[in-house]
Amino acid sequence: MTSMTPEGLIDWAGPILSGALTTVQIAVLAYAIGLLLGLLGAGAKLSPWAPLRGLATAYSTLIRAVPELLLILLLYYAGAQALDALLAYLGMAGAVQITGFATAVGVLAFVQGAYMTEVFRGAILAIPSGQLEAADAFGFSRWDRFHRIVLPGMLPNALPGMSNLWLILIKDTALISVIGFNELFFTIQQAAASSRAYFLFYAAAGVIYLLMTLSSTALFARLERYVRRGQPTEA
Amino acid sequence: MTSSLQHAFRPRSSTAPAVVANQLIKHFGDLEVLKGVSLDVPEGTVTSIIGASGSGKSTLLRCMNLLERPDQGELAIADEAIRFDRNPQGDIIGLDRRQLQRLRAKVTMVFQQFNLWPHLTVLGNVIEAPMRVKKLSRKRATALGEHYLERVGMADRRDAYPAFLSGGQQQRVAIARALAMEPRLLLFDEPTSALDPERVNEVLGVIRGLADEGRTMLLVTHEMHFAREVSDQLVYLDQGNIACSGTPEEVFADPRCRQFMAPAA
Ligand SMILES: Nc1ncnc2c1ncn2[C@@H]1O[C@H](COP(=O)(O)OP(=O)(O)OP(=O)(O)O)[C@@H](O)[C@H]1O
Ligand SMILES: [Mg+2]
Repeated sequence: MTSMTPEGLIDWAGPILSGALTTVQIAVLAYAIGLLLGLLGAGAKLSPWAPLRGLATAYSTLIRAVPELLLILLLYYAGAQALDALLAYLGMAGAVQITGFATAVGVLAFVQGAYMTEVFRGAILAIPSGQLEAADAFGFSRWDRFHRIVLPGMLPNALPGMSNLWLILIKDTALISVIGFNELFFTIQQAAASSRAYFLFYAAAGVIYLLMTLSSTALFARLERYVRRGQPTEA
Repeated sequence: MTSSLQHAFRPRSSTAPAVVANQLIKHFGDLEVLKGVSLDVPEGTVTSIIGASGSGKSTLLRCMNLLERPDQGELAIADEAIRFDRNPQGDIIGLDRRQLQRLRAKVTMVFQQFNLWPHLTVLGNVIEAPMRVKKLSRKRATALGEHYLERVGMADRRDAYPAFLSGGQQQRVAIARALAMEPRLLLFDEPTSALDPERVNEVLGVIRGLADEGRTMLLVTHEMHFAREVSDQLVYLDQGNIACSGTPEEVFADPRCRQFMAPAA
């Protein structure tokens, strides 16, 4: 991006908003995939089959033990190379924009999944065993037992952790900027550098992140009220 | 009480036993909890299992819907005959998952701790298994659910969540949940043991009504007077063996049996 005259926020409003949109897209997708990975990870960790348990334990332990910035760099370059190689092999080289977005989502989802695994594992273990036994006693299939009893039964326990991870994820998208992808933080850095109005742009970024996190906190609060609908409110 | 619903319970007609257990053996690790228990529950009758704590009452009851899987023996329940044994590798054999689910749809259970699903309403709890397991439409399941909630006197609380009900009310909902599957056999494991004393009678009253209706029931209870009144058969379990069984009159007339009953009766 070429340098622009320091006309301030107005000039940069377009790129910043589009960067913010990209951030939200990355976060939402990474979160959705992270949820799925977390469910699989928790299922594997609670499985009676030892190799599966071992695999899930290795995943969640290793990922959580390494700084996320380092992971993002490692996985990004490994992932980008793999994807590039794949696309080149398929004769679709040059689709670098797609690779950038996809790897950003993939990397963050992979990290999220590890943390989500632990949240879900704890939440599932906290379901009183009698509720699961009742599902078994009535002849529920595995799938019915999972999506009708286990999932709604664990959500009240899992939501605080899930909401926490979402906030962390939004902030983690900023780490993606280190590999030069055009999300919110990267755009802000460029705007700040080219206009030299550092405080203005970083403050604007702060406000945008704040808007994202505050609105999602409100959403999670509503969700939590819903999943706790069967529980008397503790005064 | 008669039912107006077409799929409602058929009162006693056949004389075939609803349950035959033959020489059931069950271990937990090295502990032999059932040592070859044989039991007949004729269709349309009530059998109560009594005995000291740890004698294997719950284990025997839980074998009837295979929440516990016997190591050896035979079970014939509602047209399903299952023979348990070990293959040369030492695994317990004699059951596939389909058969298990089919059987559990016909033998339903009421638990000591109610075990209602807290995220579902009263009606939601009652219609869940008929919809999921018997694949009834929501409409049919709801008609059935309302009927049985009426039966246990909980129809007016159909939209409440379990946590907002008393223990006695929760247990009555749990009974409606078990009835809504229209089972061939109802199992009760100490259904009043977790209740406040003043809530016991409302639940016993419902169970008594079901007995009068001719439902086939197998009941573990410490309520001796109640067991004596409602049961067609009493079974006294002692350390994994049936020490004594018969009609309440027989059992209480037999001096050898009475010695077991004495502390409880
Ligand atoms: N899942 C289990 N694993 C290991 N041991 C068990 C298990 N379930 C029951 N037992 C043991 O088996 C024996 C019989 O237990 P069971 O629950 O059938 O007794 P019970 O007659 O129902 O007693 P209570 O009146 O206290 O309910 C007890 O010694 C108990 O500790
Ligand atoms: Mg017991």
